[in-house]
Amino acid sequence: MISHEDASELLGAYALDAVERDELTELEEHLATCPRCRAELDGLREAAGALGNSVEPPPEGLWSRISDRLGDYSGEGEEPPPMPELSVGTRQRAPFRAPSPGRTRRIRSNALLLGAVAVAASAVAVVLGIGLVRSQDNVTNLQQSIAHERAAAQRTPAEVALHTPGHRVVSLANSAHVEMASFVIVPGGRGYLISSSLPALQEGQTYQLWGFTGSTPVSLGLLGGSPHGSTFTVAGAPLTAELALTAEPSGGTVAPTGAIVASGTV
Amino acid sequence: MRDIDEVSDARLVTSIARYSEVALAEVYRRHGRAVYGLARRVLQDAGEAEDVTQEVFLRLWREPDRFDPGRGSLRSFLLAQAHGRAVDAVRSSSSRRARESREAARTARAEYDMQHEAWDLAMADQVAQAMGELSEDERRAIQLAYFDGHTYREVARVLEQPEGTVKSRIRSGLRRLRDALVDAGVRGVDA
Repeated sequence: MISHEDASELLGAYALDAVERDELTELEEHLATCPRCRAELDGLREAAGALGNSVEPPPEGLWSRISDRLGDYSGEGEEPPPMPELSVGTRQRAPFRAPSPGRTRRIRSNALLLGAVAVAASAVAVVLGIGLVRSQDNVTNLQQSIAHERAAAQRTPAEVALHTPGHRVVSLANSAHVEMASFVIVPGGRGYLISSSLPALQEGQTYQLWGFTGSTPVSLGLLGGSPHGSTFTVAGAPLTAELALTAEPSGGTVAPTGAIVASGTV
Repeated sequence: MRDIDEVSDARLVTSIARYSEVALAEVYRRHGRAVYGLARRVLQDAGEAEDVTQEVFLRLWREPDRFDPGRGSLRSFLLAQAHGRAVDAVRSSSSRRARESREAARTARAEYDMQHEAWDLAMADQVAQAMGELSEDERRAIQLAYFDGHTYREVARVLEQPEGTVKSRIRSGLRRLRDALVDAGVRGVDA
């Protein structure tokens, strides 16, 4: 067991990640039990942090690459994952100077696309959010408040929707009458994917969901190339009579160009 | 209603825990430059620095609860993560070779260039001044460990000083740096 004196002598080096490997374990064991050393370490780390500050701008595309990988930390698809929409009010605030995050960019392009469709098809207001597939991680150091937030966020909208009075489940089948995907739609028009056996598309393609009111298709959103296990939200009013899925170039199209992969009556 | 750029770091992390990518983007906007800058300084390689930056932010996304606002600022938490990863990479054999070839050129550089290591530009003077108050030995030991990724024993060999002395100097130097920055009112240091 390392003595308190020996441990505290190492704190400066530890704050700089300069402790030898063979001393690390003992030091970290001591830190776990010594609030005094932890407090000193926190202060030394702040000092190191001040030293380490720099003003070098990262390369342009770095945020996009980070953003694109957020979905990698996904569950295994067993349950529909939680929605970012349950998060803070900041999400509703439009003018946000995000460094061109990929996911947000996609959402925005959907919004543009949908805007065009809405004009063409007599003003249908569509709210669209794409949920991130997340998993609950093994966590150490669990902070109570955040743990509670996480727990709340684990209740998926689809689960909530399935317990909402008046919900409808819509099944989309292919031409051979095999179910390819199903959605739950709650009164008000918000819908969630609850299951999917859609095959993964090639890169550069996405599934696009269409609602038909009469003979005019209205885009309800892009589901990505591999919707299995992912969740997303579509809401449209007035609610359409029929849903259909097509495969389209990523970014989506204003009107379906591909063959209908699956469809179903609401 | 507050704009997102007025939201505290701690609150942003809570939002990240609720899967808010917007909050993560804001944290990146605030601290991405510092994280990347430090990684780049330690690694001397843009590509590796990008990898480290990416890992640091993805880890915050995955495990936001690892940040404890009671123990310090988010900036120093992220920088500590970046530094640890950068140093690991430096110590791995693959980058060691490339690094050693750069070493000669680097020793010819200016003593220390605090303008680029400051909390932000406005804090540059404070940090430079605080570093200037350290003894030459303390400053050298801290720089070799922090920016060059040496362990304190390696620092002792480079400086041809006893290990115990180097260990103490790093600690005393950092403590004095911390005190000077607290006195100067640099935010985060006394958090």
